[in-house]
Amino acid sequence: MTNCVSVNETEAAAPGPMVQRVRMPTGLMGFEAIREYELIFQPEERPFGWLQACDPSGLAFVVVDPFLVLPEYRPDIPPPDVALLGLNGPEDALLLNIVTIHGPNRATVNLKGPIVINRHTWMAKQVVIANAIEYSVQHPLPVSQSAD
Amino acid sequence: MLILSRKPGESIMIDGRIHVKVVRVEGDIVKVGIEAPPEVPVHRMEVYLEIQGNNRRAVVTRKPPLPRVPLAQPARAGNPQAAGVVRPQIVVRPPANRRGTESAVQENRP
Repeated sequence: MTNCVSVNETEAAAPGPMVQRVRMPTGLMGFEAIREYELIFQPEERPFGWLQACDPSGLAFVVVDPFLVLPEYRPDIPPPDVALLGLNGPEDALLLNIVTIHGPNRATVNLKGPIVINRHTWMAKQVVIANAIEYSVQHPLPVSQSAD
Repeated sequence: MLILSRKPGESIMIDGRIHVKVVRVEGDIVKVGIEAPPEVPVHRMEVYLEIQGNNRRAVVTRKPPLPRVPLAQPARAGNPQAAGVVRPQIVVRPPANRRGTESAVQENRP
């Protein structure tokens, strides 16, 4: 089973900003105390979304569906994480990867540690993929040159 | 840091629920087995530090301007052969069933 539904299909069904609460029982690495986030997608910001902490810190992460920028990305989710998230197959998984904005024209994405979300329970975990060695934590995103 | 000496086959119990075992020593490689509840993530330190550092650099408290990024061709549902477009490849391996009462020590590729 290698099919999965990309974020775009979910977006297309619901015009306007998409907001979804997500639970992360193990938190993000370095931010383990934060267990609840809101996932926010504004259509005009495609392909980026926001993972916004539900605590007073106000901190947030830019996230992206990795397949929209690297279609050949083939993340191998380790079996214990599959079990923890209750995934019955790839079609249950939504993947979002954390983006670092270095400047107005430079951004990179972490391909070693995607956030894997169960699209039915909205439980998520930042997973170290079994084939992490094949990918970078700072994979460059191709940036369009402005046509202005 | 608490330092304990263990021979191969000997173990350590942490917090009554995390079991660390020296499985085997091969030259200068120590194979360490870890049994922990599923909500306790376990990572090689260098990978953890790399991702933790990256997460910390990525965090924003104020919306930065987002770069314009060209979209790769997304796969369309119901038409996987359209224009040679390949659907996203996520590898999900089901966990093996545990048998009997012996502890299963899982070995991950590095």
